[in-house]
Parts: sequence; structure tokens; C-alpha cells
Amino acid sequence: MHKTAVIAAALIATAAAQAEEPENYIKYRQAMMSAIGGHTGAAGQIVRGKVSPEGALAMHANALATLNTDIGSLFPEGSDFGETRAKEEIWSDRAAFDKAAGDAKTATAAFAAAVAAGDEEKIGAAYRDVGESCKTCHKQFRQKKN
Amino acid sequence: MTPWPLLILLAGSAAAYADDGEYLFHAAGCLACHTAKDGAPLAGGRPFETPYGTFYAPNISPDRKTGIGTWSRREFIDALKHGTAPDGSAYYPVFPYPSYRLMTNTDAGKIFDYLQTRTARSQTNREHDTPWWLFRWMMKLWQWWALDEPAPAQTNQELERGRYLVDALGHCGECHTPRNWLGASIRTRYLAGTDLGPEDEKVPNITPERADGIGKWDADDLAYFLETGQLPDGDYTGSLMADVVDNTTSKLRVADRQAMVSYLRAVEAFPGP
Ligand code: HEC
Ligand code: HEC
Ligand code: HEC
Repeated sequence: MHKTAVIAAALIATAAAQAEEPENYIKYRQAMMSAIGGHTGAAGQIVRGKVSPEGALAMHANALATLNTDIGSLFPEGSDFGETRAKEEIWSDRAAFDKAAGDAKTATAAFAAAVAAGDEEKIGAAYRDVGESCKTCHKQFRQKKN
Repeated sequence: MTPWPLLILLAGSAAAYADDGEYLFHAAGCLACHTAKDGAPLAGGRPFETPYGTFYAPNISPDRKTGIGTWSRREFIDALKHGTAPDGSAYYPVFPYPSYRLMTNTDAGKIFDYLQTRTARSQTNREHDTPWWLFRWMMKLWQWWALDEPAPAQTNQELERGRYLVDALGHCGECHTPRNWLGASIRTRYLAGTDLGPEDEKVPNITPERADGIGKWDADDLAYFLETGQLPDGDYTGSLMADVVDNTTSKLRVADRQAMVSYLRAVEAFPGP
């Protein structure tokens, strides 16, 4: 029984170590980015007045703030090869990348706050700032589509 | 007899687009090319890697020694619209004069006046790094051979304004229209995208083709993209196009963006690239 536990623990540890291979982060972060893109696109439809589903804007805004808490950690050292559009500069100019990630965190938090406060004008401006933070990082750190 | 109704009409349409030099400068996207990363605005130095070598944008600030401070308006217009340098030699088409040749002299002159009001920056131009077989005089032949018919003028005033913004100022086709082996735009694939754009980037098809182009975007999506860089799925554009949005399309008046949208939705749809 002790032996099984030890073996199980070892297996779990190996599995965990495997899951921690840096390149495994590529799929994970792309899925995370897609989720961020999904909420941004959906929030945009509401902010631009195309649809007005009850309570949905707060849900998208809060999700964006949560998803953007630490996007820097989605780009560990060594996750720069394979099927990725991440540019080398993410690792060679890490300070600038971390700043871009920080700006997205600030912008999404401010957007969530504006939505919570319910001030239409601030919501529009804050949404634009969110978009700016995405575009600024993609401009510097993401390659074109292959 | 003066055909005065015509004169009034002409005056009217000129007034409708009496853009100032700064507006035209942004609409034509001069800044990004003529400014190096972290460099002084308009002082040049930005490299362009092409299959024909690496070219460095020159200093176009009004510095009298290293920039264009001593140029006349005529010399400037010849450079911008005809690709001809003050000494009579021809420019390489990395400088998108094949597009700017469609600009009116009035607009080109206004850009000149605006540039002369900018801060002079002293920065010596860097020599291009071209292969041994490429010489400037060849560009004369190139200009004669490769500058073909532009996209046809539109009769509808809004569409014509859109064409002017897309072709003469925004030079969208310089990236979005594929080139033949001599680097000339393939007119029959106008705006249809290419796998071999600048910096070897894949540049998407922006004709109204539904599968490969942007035919599924509605007019609002496209206008919003040009304003903010947001794609219809919530993603944001990056790389070279983010520069275009930041420096050019986001700075246009709403009506001008609208004209651009109407025109882009009216051009011929092509599959591909
Ligand atoms: C700090 C930099 C940074 C910020 C900020 C950022 N992104 Fe990204 N994003 C990237 C990089 C790098 C990739 C490419 C990842 C890869 O391919 O491995 C990417 C990829 C994407 C993708 C494509 C995902 C896929 O399927 O491959 C979407 C969609 C996206 N981002 C949306 C957004 C939105 C919306 C925002 C703003 C709310 C945003 N991003 C903010 C860096 C950033
Ligand atoms: C795609 C990048 C690009 C854009 C956009 C661009 N230029 Fe240039 N420009 C260049 C390059 C590269 C050269 C050098 C060409 C050569 O040496 O043959 C150049 C040359 C010039 C010259 C000649 C300078 C000299 O010292 O001989 C002038 C003037 C000029 N550009 C002005 C402009 C203006 C004004 C605009 C906007 C209306 C503009 N450019 C937009 C890349 C660009
Ligand atoms: C310097 C080259 C360049 C110029 C000039 C340029 N584009 Fe782009 N454009 C690109 C690239 C590269 C992409 C793809 C960006 C990416 O994948 O992140 C793109 C993407 C686009 C898209 C999104 C298409 C899609 O399916 O994702 C549209 C729309 C667009 N451009 C329109 C324009 C218009 C309109 C102009 C003229 C005002 C223009 N572009 C000028 C390089 C350029």
C-alpha cells in the first residue's frame, strides 16, 4: 500500500513535470488568448450597441480582468519554437514585454471598474484602452499569420 | 463663356477635401517608414529587407545638410510622384511612389509645406545594402516598364474618394497586391493578398471575396477595424498592419474611413493568395 502510494506519487510527479514542459505552454496560451479574444469581441458587440444582453457586459469585463492577471506567465523561457506566433523579442526584450502585459492588466481592470460603475462614457473609453493594449503588444511581439 | 456651374462644382469638390498637410501626411503614412525604431521622427534609418537587398529610409526632416531642408517644392513633388531625385536619378520603389504618383500636386505640395514645419534632425543617410548587380540607373527602366495602369477612377464621388485614400494616399496595394518577379504590382490581382509581402510577411486578401478575402465582414466591422485594429472575432491586428492603423487609418475622419470601406467593398473579388 505504501509502495503503491509512492509509485502513484512518482507517476503524478512525472506527469506534472511533463505538463510543465515549456512548449506545452504554447497551446495553453493560445487557448487563453482565444478566450481573451472571445470576451473582447463579445464585449465589443455590447459596447458598440449591437446587442444588449442583460448583465453580460459585467461578466465579459470581469472575465477579461481575471484572464489578464498574469499573461506574462504564459510565455515561459523555452516556449518559443513550434506552432507559435510569439516573436523572439518576448524573451530578448523581456522588460518591454512585461510592460505590455502589465498595461493590458491595468486596462482590463479599469474596464471592469468602469462597467461596475455603470458610466457609459467611461466604459467606451476604457474599452478602447483595452484594445490599444492588445494591439500594442501584438504589434511588437506577435508574428503575422502563417 | 465660362461653364460656371462646372467651376462651382469643381470648387465644391476641392473644398470638400481641402485637407491640411498634417492630415495628408498621416493619410499617406510617411512617418513609420521614415523613422527608425526608437529614432527621431523623420530622421530616417529604418531598414527594409527585400529580395533586392536592404534599403534604409532617408532623412526627410527639414535639416539643411542631412535632410530635405534645401529642396524646392518642385523637387519634392518629382521625388514623391515620379520617383525622380533632384540629381535626376531614379528612386527604388521601396519608396512607394508608384502609389503616390496618383496624388494631386496640390496634396503633395501641402505635405511638403507640412514637412518644412517639422523639427530638423541632423542624421546622415545610410547607404543601401544592395547586391552587386543592382544599380540606380536600372530603376529608370523599371519605372518605364513596371508602372502600369492604376485601378480605374470611380464615377461615384464617395467611391472615388475611397479609391484616392486607398491607392494614392494609403498605398494599401503596396503590401496587399502581389508583385511579379520584377517587383511590379499585378493589377489583375489587385488587393488579393500575397505570401511574400514586406519582411516576408504573409499579407491577407482584402477584396470582398467571401472565403479568402473580407467578404464576410460587414461595413461596420471594416470601419471599426480601420479605426481600432480589432478583427471581427475580437482579435487585434499586429505586425505591419498595426502601424498602418496607428499612423494612418485611425487618424482619418469618420467620413473618409467610410469612403475607404465603401470602396474596398466595391472592388473586384479575387480568391487566394
Ligand atoms: C503582452 C502581450 C500581449 C497582450 C497584452 C495581448 N496579447 Fe494576444 N497574443 C500575444 C501573442 C505573443 C500571441 C501569439 C501566441 C502564440 O501563438 O503562441 C497572441 C495571440 C492572440 C490571439 C490568437 C490566439 C490563437 O488562437 O493562436 C488572440 C485571439 C489574441 N491574442 C487576442 C488578444 C486580445 C483580445 C488582447 C487584449 C485584451 C490580447 N490578445 C492581448 C500577445 C499579447
Ligand atoms: C514603405 C516605406 C516608405 C513610405 C510609406 C514612404 N517612404 Fe519616403 N522613402 C522610402 C525609402 C526606402 C526611400 C529611399 C529610396 C531610394 O533611395 O531610392 C525614400 C525616399 C524618400 C525621399 C527622397 C529623400 C532623399 O534624400 O532623396 C523623400 C523626399 C521621401 N521619401 C518622402 C516621403 C513622404 C513625404 C512620404 C509620405 C507621403 C514617404 N516618403 C513615404 C520609404 C518610404
Ligand atoms: C506595410 C504593409 C501594409 C500596408 C501598407 C497595409 N497593410 Fe493591411 N495588412 C498588412 C499585414 C501584414 C496584415 C496582416 C496582419 C496580421 O496578420 O497580424 C494586414 C491586415 C489587414 C486587414 C485584415 C485582414 C484580415 O483578413 O485579417 C485589413 C482589412 C487591411 N490590412 C486593410 C488595409 C488597408 C485598407 C490598407 C491601406 C490603408 C492597408 N491594409 C495597408 C500589411 C499592410
